[in-house]
Parts: sequence; C-alpha cells; structure tokens
Amino acid sequence: MWCFLAPALLVLFLVTILPFVFLVATSFTPYDLTKPDSFRFAGSLNYVELVREDRFWNSVWVQARLSFWTVSLQLLIGLGLARLLHSRIRAVEWVRAGFIIPMVLPPVVVALMWRILFTPDISVLNWLLGLAGLPQPAWLTHPTLALWAIIIADVWEWFPFVLLMLLAAFQMMPEEPLEAAAIDGASRWQVFRHVELPLLKPVLVVAGLFRLIDSVKAFPLIFIMTAGGPGVATEATNYYAYLQGFSYTFIGFSSAITVVMLAATFVLSLALIRMAGRTADVE
Amino acid sequence: MSSRSLARMIRRGAALAVVALLLLVVLFPVLWLVLMSVRTEAESFRMPPQLFFTPTAKNYLDLMQSKFFRAFENSVVTSTATTVLSLLLGVPAAYALGRAQLRPERLLSLWVLATRMAPPIAFGIPFFLIYIRLDLIDTRLGLVLIYLSFNLSLVIWMMRAFFEGLPASLEEAAYIDGAGVVGAFVRVTLPLSAPGLATTAIFCFLLSWNDFFYSLILTRSEAVTAPVAIVNFMDYERWEYGKITAAASLIMLPVVAFSLAVRKYLIRGLTAGAVKG
Repeated sequence: MWCFLAPALLVLFLVTILPFVFLVATSFTPYDLTKPDSFRFAGSLNYVELVREDRFWNSVWVQARLSFWTVSLQLLIGLGLARLLHSRIRAVEWVRAGFIIPMVLPPVVVALMWRILFTPDISVLNWLLGLAGLPQPAWLTHPTLALWAIIIADVWEWFPFVLLMLLAAFQMMPEEPLEAAAIDGASRWQVFRHVELPLLKPVLVVAGLFRLIDSVKAFPLIFIMTAGGPGVATEATNYYAYLQGFSYTFIGFSSAITVVMLAATFVLSLALIRMAGRTADVE
Repeated sequence: MSSRSLARMIRRGAALAVVALLLLVVLFPVLWLVLMSVRTEAESFRMPPQLFFTPTAKNYLDLMQSKFFRAFENSVVTSTATTVLSLLLGVPAAYALGRAQLRPERLLSLWVLATRMAPPIAFGIPFFLIYIRLDLIDTRLGLVLIYLSFNLSLVIWMMRAFFEGLPASLEEAAYIDGAGVVGAFVRVTLPLSAPGLATTAIFCFLLSWNDFFYSLILTRSEAVTAPVAIVNFMDYERWEYGKITAAASLIMLPVVAFSLAVRKYLIRGLTAGAVKG
C-alpha cells in the first residue's frame, strides 16, 4: 500500500510544505528582486516595519470592511433565496441550477463584467439608474463607491455558495418539528424564525467562515476593477502584498505580509474545523 | 378540474414565474457580456441600448487572428495536464488511505484545508523564486506544477470519500480469484468509481482553468493562459471591448457546461477538508 501512497506524499511535500518553509524563510530577509545579494537573514526587520506602516493598516481596514459586508450580505441573500427556492416543484428545481452560475465563472470574467457595468458611458447599469432618476456615479474612481463596487461584484459572485449549502441543509431538515409547529398553528414567519433558523444555524456559521476566509481572495476583482484605487481606497491586504512583491520587487517584505495573512487564515480554519465537526454531530 | 387543484396550479405557476424572473435579474450581467461580444463597439456604447440588432461575428474573428488563440491553447494544455497528473498521483493515494486502515483523519483534513484556504500569493512567492532559478518562468510545465499544489490534495480528499462508499467485499472476491492488490484496484475498483473519477477530474480542470493569479505572476508571453491574456486587451487609452467580451465569453463556456454537469458535487468539492461529502 505504501507504493500507492508514497509518490503523492512526496509530490505534496515538494509543492506545499517546501514552498511554505521557503516563504517563511524569505519573510526574514530584506530580499529585493533587483538586488540578488539581499537574500540574507535580517531577523524580524520586515515585521517591525510592517507594524509601523500606515499603508499596511489601511489595507487591513479595507479588507475588514470588504469581508464584513460581503459575508453578511451573502449570508442574508443566500438565506432568503434558499427559503424561496426550497421547493419540491420540479420546474423550480431546474431553474435553481441557474443560480450557481456566478460562482463557477472564471473570476477574471466576473471582474471584467462588473468593470464594464461600473464604467460610465458604456454602463447599462448607470443608464438604468438614470431612467429611475437616480445619480449615475463614476463608481470605480469614487473614493467610497469604488469599494462598494467591489463588494457588489463579490456578493454577486459568491452568494450561490451560501445558497447551495443552505439548500442542502433545508433538504436534510427533520420533518417532525415542522409538522409539530404546523399543528400548533404557527405562522410561516414563526416556523422560519423559531424552527428552521435554529436548525440552520450551524450550517450558516460554517458557510460564513468559509466565505470569510475566501474573502481575502478577491484579488482578480481588485486587480481588474480598481487596481487598488482611487489612491489606496480599495487596496486590500492581499493586493497590497502583491504590489510590494511584484510591482515594487520587495519580495522579502511581501512574504512577511503573506505570512501574517496565512496566520490569520490558519486561526480561522481551526475554528472552521471545530464548527464543521460540530455540524456533523448535529446531523 | 376541481377549483383546489386549479388554485394549486396557479400557485405553482406564480412561484415559478417569480423564481425565473429572479434568475434573469441575477444572470443579467452574464447575458449582457455575451450580447456585447456580438455587437459592434459603437453599438455597445449606444444608450438606450438596442435590444434588437444584427449580431456580428467580427469580435470573434478578430480574436482568432490575435495572440489569444495561443493563450487559449495554453489554458487547455495546462489544465488538462495538471488534471491527469493529479489523478495519476492522487487516486492510488486516496485508495490506500481509504482501504489500508490508515486514517490520519485530522492531518489530512488540515492539509487539504491549508492548501485550499491559503491565499494564492503564499504559494506564488516561493514558486516564483524557485522558478527563476530553475528557468521555469513562462513555461507550461511551471504552471502545471504549481496547480498540483491545490489539485493533488483535493483529489485525495474527494476520491477517498468515493472509495469508502464502495464495499471492500468486491476486491476480496478478486483476491480469492488470485488478483493482486494492483490488479484488483485497476480491474475492479477503478471501473466502479468512474462517476467519482469524472467528477474529480472536472473539478481539477475547472480550478486550473479559472486560475488568474499564478498565471499572472509566473508567465510572461509564451505560456500565458487565456484569463491573463484578456488583460492585454485592456489598454490604458482604449479598451478593446469587442475582443474583451468575446474572449470572456469563450473562456466561460466550458466552465458553465462542466459545472452544471457536476452541480450535485459542487459543495463537496468547494468545502473539501472541512465538511464530509
């Protein structure tokens, strides 16, 4: 059996563990791509600099707002739609499949599509806003609307994930409490609020944690829609790390930012494993 | 027809209409993009937009003559190669884990999750530095190798679940007939797990096909994949909207077709490592 396992383990080691060690090592060097001899140990230099940098803390704040709004809105929309689409009508089941499309599209396509929708002159969205008598802003160059443009695109892209997880949870819901509530004459809202919602809660938490961890990866949206701008208004941490490493060649510094992001991801993943384990117990 | 069943039919019809309308709103950006790809540029800028217009294939024809064709080929080759390689390495490993009472449950789960959750730049930086040394920047091989970092553990996780669903008694019967471990695996287990293999393969293909970041930092011109090649049509002065939308429509086509085929397994694949399938 070991000859079945060994090749995969060896390759996994080479493509995951080894790069990780290399990344952490690089984060302790002032390595600059334009200075080949700068790959030397420099202690926690990068980390000290990082903590002192305003631009880093700005990126954390951008990321925090992006994550908060995308995850909350995705949970809300996912929950509402799941309730609506949870139906045994055959035709509805078919239409339902269409809702997963945003999630599986190549991220670059999602980014391009929304960039076009948020660009004045060619934006059918702004035209519709104009019809409704609303202002037609230049979204992507506006200091606060730019982040909202990215939030809207991200919510659109990933609400189907929450939707799919909740639809599965709805299907596995035990019948008895629902029937009992119906016999007691509970209204639809009461059933949802006091019977269904508590049963869905563990799944909501897991879906939310998944989205929270993945919300760090809105890279293609930021790269294509705003490139971090205007100014640093949409420069989330992930994008900031990319800029430092690949636009400014400060690979060592960029690695330190990445290690900080990885640490945050790891903590959240541990929480996720805990919660997911508990969900399995409930089921 | 009784009035009750009529009322039920109306209720069903209304529910379906609401859902269909919602779907149309949600998918509007996608439809609009595809519509733009068959419009002339002047037509795309015209407001109010014309719903009825003569479609043109010009954007697609322009695309065929540009470098995009080569990029599309790169996408097909790298995604296919990494899928085959991940299956070759990952499927036997998944089988061994599922059958040989080897249950490093938590370790495997953590490993899969870690590679699934880590922001791409975490692998991007070290691979970039190593590739400079090994001269693997801007090569298809380089992309195939880095795609293994997320595909291989995914294959192991997904296939193990499929194998555990197969009764071991079938292989035991093969052993009695004189088959070895490898023989029983190849001739009995593999054919039975064909649906699982297909699903897992589609997943690997889609994840690699959709990649943007790795291709962005690890390729320049020769090995550039389709998602990154589109960026070249985004000139600072002028966006080539026709080519951009045509190229975007082309790269999302296989994705939509494949994902609808595996939609029952989407969540299992996307939550690999945390939630059992």
